[in-house]
Amino acid sequence: MGARKDSLLVKDQMYLVPRAGVTHVVSENYSYKSDTYYAILSQETKGVAVEPSSQSVLDANIVPICLEKARLAGIEVCDWGISHSYVPFPALLYGINYFASSSDYHPVAGPDETKAAIRHVTNCGKYPFCYQGLGEGDYIHRVHSIFGGVSTGDAGISRLAGEVYDLFRIPLQTLVVRERDGEYAFSSLAPCRYSALTRDEKAALQAYIEHQEFL
Amino acid sequence: MSRLGMFVDRKTLSSAEQLTALIHCRDVAEMLGHSVEFIFPVDIHRIPQMDALFIRARTDPMNVTYVAARMASFHGIPVIDDPRSIQVCSDKINMYCQLMKRGVAIPRTVFLSRHEISPGKADELFGDMGSPLVIKEPSTSFSLRVEKVHDATEFLKVARRFSKLSDWIVVQQFVESVYDWRIGVLGGELLYACKYTIPTATFKIQASVNGHVVYCDVLSVPPEEVPPDVLTLGLEAGKAIGDGLYGVDIKKSGDHACVIEVNDNPSLESGEDAHYPLVYQKIVAHLLGA
Repeated sequence: MGARKDSLLVKDQMYLVPRAGVTHVVSENYSYKSDTYYAILSQETKGVAVEPSSQSVLDANIVPICLEKARLAGIEVCDWGISHSYVPFPALLYGINYFASSSDYHPVAGPDETKAAIRHVTNCGKYPFCYQGLGEGDYIHRVHSIFGGVSTGDAGISRLAGEVYDLFRIPLQTLVVRERDGEYAFSSLAPCRYSALTRDEKAALQAYIEHQEFL
Repeated sequence: MSRLGMFVDRKTLSSAEQLTALIHCRDVAEMLGHSVEFIFPVDIHRIPQMDALFIRARTDPMNVTYVAARMASFHGIPVIDDPRSIQVCSDKINMYCQLMKRGVAIPRTVFLSRHEISPGKADELFGDMGSPLVIKEPSTSFSLRVEKVHDATEFLKVARRFSKLSDWIVVQQFVESVYDWRIGVLGGELLYACKYTIPTATFKIQASVNGHVVYCDVLSVPPEEVPPDVLTLGLEAGKAIGDGLYGVDIKKSGDHACVIEVNDNPSLESGEDAHYPLVYQKIVAHLLGA
């Protein structure tokens, strides 16, 4: 049974799931100018109700926008800033440019690694970047969110994942979350590969795609 | 008195023409009784303190200008260019979808997924739309990643190269012209009109020819000299995108005019507004009220 379920989730495959008058687009890659992005855009152009929206996908992909939108919705987020060169460390760095992905974040703690990471995320100083300050003992969690559901038993992360899904409506994402003194703050949303899902997560996603259950 | 933020980046300030245009805009806003502050990417948290934002840097959903536009929209601050205009105009697929949806005349256009690029498809498109064809990578600007192809071999080479940057590309019928009309539209009304004369060595408004960048000539044209069909088409195209500031490129061949593209964040520093001295007054009034 497990093997059969796994086989439905094919690499790079996108799934359009109509449910209650809305077409849910399930994909590993919602990036700008991807097949998925244009599938969403096509549905919007035809006037079909679709989730996520193309604007939501863009909002999620660009870390400062993602965090500001979440903050305004009352979600606890990491403090962030934009810089060209200087950053107080330790920090988490994200690129803001064509070649950047929110899955490619860089935790930095010392001057040399900070300098190297900045060179990387700015493409040798061409673009600004986003930074989020870290503190002693902070921990970064990466959690798969399937329609806002997560497999962790942690109530704080579960609540955060639900709130983030309600805001962005992206069926499959990796939540990047900072933990400090037992409190959680949202850091970013990153793509999630089907191959990265656990057996149970794959089963849950497949059930939804096959209309077996409502998550 | 209101506070107008002008969002700029290092590249904007590295151009003498753009700097002159920015200072002119600042002077106009101050003359109208407003204060002006330049906002750089590192100052993005200051945007909520502004009463309006005018973005003067190359816009794209993947760069920091989109962050600025979205920050303004989150806080209910009028902004040129607004996020939706950036999203639509920066992506030729999205832009042509909006124009098609509203029946605005464009050259024959096909969107091609990377999975559809094949010799057979190339032959089919040449058969349907003639030769040459124009292939565009959707996020092209300043005519970058726009190429004319004459046969299936060239087609496949260019299409495969562009498909590394985008899963979908644009294939379009080629429309020959000596010059493009540029109709500046603000809030659905004419802001300015000019002609971009295409350099003889290329078919684009800007191109690299033998290692040298060649630019088109810009000639501002007073409104009474703009053909009525070009003017009407320009306004229709602007309205199809939104209520902001757009530069609509139009080719007119015989009696037929068609929209080549709609640009957000149109250039205003190359003499486009020579016959339109109120361009910046109108932009400031649009953002901050008369």
